[in-house]
Amino acid sequence: MAVTEAPAAAVVAVPAPDVLDPERGSLRWAGIRRRLVLGIPLGFVALLILACFVGPLVLPLHPPVGGDILNSALPPGSPSHPLGTDINGNDVLSRLLHGGQSSLLVAISVNLIGLVVGGGIGALSGYAGGWVDNVIMRVLDVFIAFPSLVLTIAIAQALGPSLPNTILALTAFSIPAVARVARSATLRIKTMPFVQAAELSGSPAWRILLRHIAPNITPQMLNFAMLGMGIVIVTEGALSFLGLGIPAPNPSWGNMIYEGQQSMSATPLLVLWPSLALLATVLSFNLLGENIRDEMSGR
Amino acid sequence: MSVVGTSVEQSAPRGGVGDRPVLSVEDLRVTFTRHGRRIRAVKGVSFDVQRGRMLAIIGESGSGKSVTVRALMGLLPPSAAVSGSAVLDGRQLVGMSDKQMRRVRGMNISMIFQDPARSLNPTMSVGAQIAEAVRTHQQVSRPQAAERVLELLRLVRMPAPEKRVHQFPHQLSGGMRQRVVIAIALASEPDVLVADEATTALDVTTQAQIMDLLVDLRERLGTAVVMISHDLGLAASYADEVMVMYAGQVVERAPTQTLFSNVRMPYTRALVEAIPQISHPSHTLLSVVGGHPPDPGRPVQGCPFRPRCAKADDTCLTAPPLDMHEPEHSYACWHPVTGHEVPVAAAPAAEIPGGTR
Amino acid sequence: MTGASVLDAPRRPDADRGFGRSGAGSPFVRLLARRLLMAIPLLLAVSVLVFLLLELMPGDPARNQAGMDASEEQVEAVRRRMGLDKSPVERYFGWLFGIFRGDLGRSSVSGQSVVDMLGDRAPVTLELVTLAFAVSLLIAIPVALMAARRPGGIFDRTVMVVSMTMLAVPNYVLAMLLVLVFAIMLRMLPAIGFVPLEEGLLPNLRSVLLPVLALAVPLAAFYTRFLRGDLVEQMNAADYIDTARAKGVGPWLVLWLHAFRNSSFGLLTIVGLNIGTLVGGTVIIEQIFAMPGMGMMMLEGAMSRDVAVVQMCVFVFAAVAILANLFVDLMYAVLDPRIRYGSH
Repeated sequence: MAVTEAPAAAVVAVPAPDVLDPERGSLRWAGIRRRLVLGIPLGFVALLILACFVGPLVLPLHPPVGGDILNSALPPGSPSHPLGTDINGNDVLSRLLHGGQSSLLVAISVNLIGLVVGGGIGALSGYAGGWVDNVIMRVLDVFIAFPSLVLTIAIAQALGPSLPNTILALTAFSIPAVARVARSATLRIKTMPFVQAAELSGSPAWRILLRHIAPNITPQMLNFAMLGMGIVIVTEGALSFLGLGIPAPNPSWGNMIYEGQQSMSATPLLVLWPSLALLATVLSFNLLGENIRDEMSGR
Repeated sequence: MSVVGTSVEQSAPRGGVGDRPVLSVEDLRVTFTRHGRRIRAVKGVSFDVQRGRMLAIIGESGSGKSVTVRALMGLLPPSAAVSGSAVLDGRQLVGMSDKQMRRVRGMNISMIFQDPARSLNPTMSVGAQIAEAVRTHQQVSRPQAAERVLELLRLVRMPAPEKRVHQFPHQLSGGMRQRVVIAIALASEPDVLVADEATTALDVTTQAQIMDLLVDLRERLGTAVVMISHDLGLAASYADEVMVMYAGQVVERAPTQTLFSNVRMPYTRALVEAIPQISHPSHTLLSVVGGHPPDPGRPVQGCPFRPRCAKADDTCLTAPPLDMHEPEHSYACWHPVTGHEVPVAAAPAAEIPGGTR
Repeated sequence: MTGASVLDAPRRPDADRGFGRSGAGSPFVRLLARRLLMAIPLLLAVSVLVFLLLELMPGDPARNQAGMDASEEQVEAVRRRMGLDKSPVERYFGWLFGIFRGDLGRSSVSGQSVVDMLGDRAPVTLELVTLAFAVSLLIAIPVALMAARRPGGIFDRTVMVVSMTMLAVPNYVLAMLLVLVFAIMLRMLPAIGFVPLEEGLLPNLRSVLLPVLALAVPLAAFYTRFLRGDLVEQMNAADYIDTARAKGVGPWLVLWLHAFRNSSFGLLTIVGLNIGTLVGGTVIIEQIFAMPGMGMMMLEGAMSRDVAVVQMCVFVFAAVAILANLFVDLMYAVLDPRIRYGSH
């Protein structure tokens, strides 16, 4: 055999046997973990939507406003107030759910409008190219140049606090952002052979956009929309926190946090409940977004 | 050139005289574990490399040739398990800790990769990257390192070395970049230089220049070169010894002349036949080896080439050992090729892209 | 960064010829000029938008100023005095030229000139933003490097989970939690209030620590995730990493000198993109911590319908974001040798 001077053993690590082991359990575990990572946030979001939209109709909740000041700051677990009451005597659970309803409504509306309008503008701009593209992009650039919160605050305070105004203010920064993503996705798809084939065969532009471009930019748009849900919820929370969003006394997680701040040393839980709700919701949407993209790109 | 057989049966006695080989690999095995599956990339490879000689390792993608040399360098991911023996100048490489390996890498054995454009850090000047190679293993001052950098650039015949030193990779042509990569590899005058498809990304003219350079360096510095390629023609022109790998195993090995004048292994024969020759009449169909290599994640019964070999029969269900059946010529086959048979089932016409013309 | 410096000292004069490292014709200066030229119309467009936005505000500033029970003539007088009787276009240009002259208007609430107000408030915001910027990078870079050293290891996985969570926490919620823990429960730091530098470095730092953290941590989470991902991607796939390891360079040096150098460009880009977010975040953070900065100024102006103040604040914020992006672009051009030296 080989003559060596090194005293070290010739065989290290696991001597590989010639017989192949059957497929180990690790493969199955990887599959389970993947399902969990997708399933848990999905489940949470579904539960959330159910709780916030159906809950108030079905559950015997106290009304979210008009509480009795004598009932203020009851601790969690009090009779008929599972999470206690706030300093105005309103039931916290009820406010959480109703607030969630408002926040989610705003978020869904803004994202839908953003996807449709922004996505449309972006895809059109990207597909059209030339001076049309240039002009649209310059206009969008102006909006994007603003820090998002600043722009939103400026619009919101100009319009006044209310739910529809909040939606309007938030679309102002959502539409340009979505448009940009849609445009870059479109640019990438535009050069692909099947689009060029459709063009060569004489398909009109609107049909190409609808049948070829739109389906292919959908994965990225969906991913961005999920991230957008998180961002919009947070920004709406910020607006409501500052009193420029959903007007008090109507609950929103944002203004609940603000009210909780006032009495934070005495009743820290009042800040924690809406904070946790926000955190869990945004986290779920972020996770969903990441995993949808992975699923769609066939990981 | 000595050869050591392994696998199932006895090992052939070592033939040939000469110095002790600078690199001696024996029964090297590499297994990856991914998602609970075991992937046997290298299934018992043995070879020796003599000082100042060039060994070409030939094989198609997935034959395990890159994994073999990366195992020697310790450049495999943590999911790889390496067993066997690889002795470089008296030092056992298998089982070395990463820290020990780092001292060997670049110093005693170095490697150059396929695409010189991607092998160089785009944000560092070329001179800085060579200097790094110098200063990793030698305690020299900066001016001394700078001098050495120029020396190395001249060694690899780089035009205008003083100018190149401050330039960045994207400012150089492909051939120049590959010279820089070679300069980096030779910085500490290693015993062995491994070239992993080093000329594949270059155009034919540059390829010839770089190969000539490697030959020249080999003669001047006495560095042994292990050349990995899928290009038989290149091996035929430049290597001293050729080793053919298939499905993680060595299937044939011999000095270049011997191999090409007497191809034995049907697979090797098919590879040789596949080289387009000027001497063939025009419009001759290229003979293509039909099928594809076995999946490394699955066990193989017997000879790995059996499904694609026209000469295979039931004896091939037992794996043939790599034995030195003829002087200096080892192969692993029960039915070696003799004369001019064409041993593979020629691929049916439908498989050839474009059909017959 | 080290590495290139070996060859810096003994440089022959002819080595620089043709690479345009200085001089009016160099690609770098041309890039600078071009980007500046593009920024100016953008700034102008932004100013128009700002002006428009606040003109849309319902309510009549003149009436507000004159008071509830002022007569029509008095309101008209106030209107004329405030210059609101002119057409929007006239008012816009008046406003714009005022900026050039250094006259940024007056607060309709306090009468103080906006310039003075900015002078008081801007340093506070500047301190917050600069510190938050620095802290976010000081956290992100080492953490990402350590995580990328052993991908999939315990540290790496912990970092991924923590950063994922931190990303989902809005900065105002984080601020609340920080106040809850550090100010209320532990009583280590003040919950509100800004202590100016003149009154001592340590009290100043103590007063800004929590707001800076609230601003910096979500950004740090974002940068960490990006950087770690980029580093690991390079370590797995990049050929020049293989070359470096084949040279025998140690793993930390490979990460820092090779992988990080290449990642730094991507990092620079996203840092630049997020400067706007950072600056905008001060609005809400200053409110929470009662910091007398520009964000607070804008909010107060918004609440009291102080048009001049809000206009200037919004414009300044936007201008800062634009200029920061410009700066990032230029840094990119300076640092990336592929842009700086072009192709041969």
